[in-house]
Amino acid sequence: MNVEITELTRRFGRNLAVAGVDLQAGPGVFGLLGPNGAGKTTLLRMMATVIPPTAGRLRLLGRDPGAYGPRREIRRRLGYLPQNLGYYPGFTVVEFVEYFALLKETPAARVPAAVATAIERVDLGGKARAKLRTLSGGMLRRVGIAQAIVNEPELLLLDEPTAGLDPEQRVQFRALLRDLGQRATVVVSTHLVEDVGAACSEVALMDQGKIVFQGTPAELTARGTEHGTGDAPLERGYTAVLAAARS
Amino acid sequence: MRDTDPGLPQGQQAPPDVDLGRVWTAVAAQVWRRRPGWLERTTGRLLRSPGLARALLTTPSLLLPWLIASIVVLAAGAAATLNSGQPVVALLAPAVAAAAIAYSYGPGVDPAWELSCSMAVSDRMVLLVRALAVFAVNAVLGLAASAALGGPARSGAAAAAGAAAAVTFGWLIPMTAVCAFALAVATLARSANAGAAAGVAAWLITVLSGRVASGHFAAAVTDTVLFLPYLAIGVTCAAVTLFATRIPRGSYR
Repeated sequence: MNVEITELTRRFGRNLAVAGVDLQAGPGVFGLLGPNGAGKTTLLRMMATVIPPTAGRLRLLGRDPGAYGPRREIRRRLGYLPQNLGYYPGFTVVEFVEYFALLKETPAARVPAAVATAIERVDLGGKARAKLRTLSGGMLRRVGIAQAIVNEPELLLLDEPTAGLDPEQRVQFRALLRDLGQRATVVVSTHLVEDVGAACSEVALMDQGKIVFQGTPAELTARGTEHGTGDAPLERGYTAVLAAARS
Repeated sequence: MRDTDPGLPQGQQAPPDVDLGRVWTAVAAQVWRRRPGWLERTTGRLLRSPGLARALLTTPSLLLPWLIASIVVLAAGAAATLNSGQPVVALLAPAVAAAAIAYSYGPGVDPAWELSCSMAVSDRMVLLVRALAVFAVNAVLGLAASAALGGPARSGAAAAAGAAAAVTFGWLIPMTAVCAFALAVATLARSANAGAAAGVAAWLITVLSGRVASGHFAAAVTDTVLFLPYLAIGVTCAAVTLFATRIPRGSYR
């Protein structure tokens, strides 16, 4: 298992953002669904080793991120796209992706090829030398995805990756996700149910800091056959599970 | 991706075993490749980390506009010193350096700070290297401004040594304390603005307190009694910064 989480908890003052989550994930695309404020981003930030948990146990890629050496090794093999990707306006696409390849300690000789591959995979070859300040929101999101995959990560954490992408780009991105999921564990946090249905082999639904459902997209769909509301079958499953969790 | 174009004549088609996608990526890698400058290459070798060197060269308060602003402020201070006879440069240098240190790294200053926190090159190391570099650059600027006022260069060897000691104990030690304080506040508050404001305000209070206590405007940089407290503050604030940037080891278990 690349992700092993036991009773993971995170508090911000009095606010309990993640409340005793248990989760295991191996290779494949794992969808993390839930309404705004459910705790998805906090869970992902802990998995990205950006913030430590308040309590509980977290093992990533078979290592304990609490110790310096293993954490550094995890970070070399980690790809992370935060919800709010800050960027350096004066950097070009290549410079930005290269910067994070270097910070991930990719061997210097391999960096140019890794950067070119990542940029081509997100279809930004035509904008490789464009300054980031000149790019649209969707393009910046793709730059963020490129920096996340530049080190061929074994664990890829994507927070709302399709925000700002147009429908055609979302379709291409789902194909990229499926491809990445063949070798790595890809955890995608989103509130767009259709992304999960199209790309994920397993899904967890979070609400109020807890996981209220874990299974395949088909199993989530099956939950909505009687009581769910929504336009798509998966949406009906989503709303039915949430309603049951809150009742 | 193995491409053949039916529109091309037989002789111009790529052989069937050539992966044109990979060829294109290899070409793109060479065309797009960024050639690091000598400073980045040298720093990378010294730090034994190209990533750390790149992070150092992206320090906001080491970029040209910031350096120009610092030079202008210190030059104005030097001019004021020449006109008034007061050690304005010595009084300005700690405040300028404190602001630069606070703006060297952190949320709000570094656009991709959260992303940087998930990188193999430790964010604590980035903070340390950037803070040291900013401090060194500001120390050099301050020394240059002091030298421009005519100290060591125009005197004999003994006088030069005396002037160097005066500069060192006059403003370099207070600058260390004020910088360490600004860095500690910026780290604890996770705000460069808070760090810069705290550093400048603390220095202003120190200067004004010295003026009230001794009657001299420059007492904060000339009163030798203050040097030990400055050093103590510097060491304490450095320890606070190190403590604030640690990751609690036990919390993952």
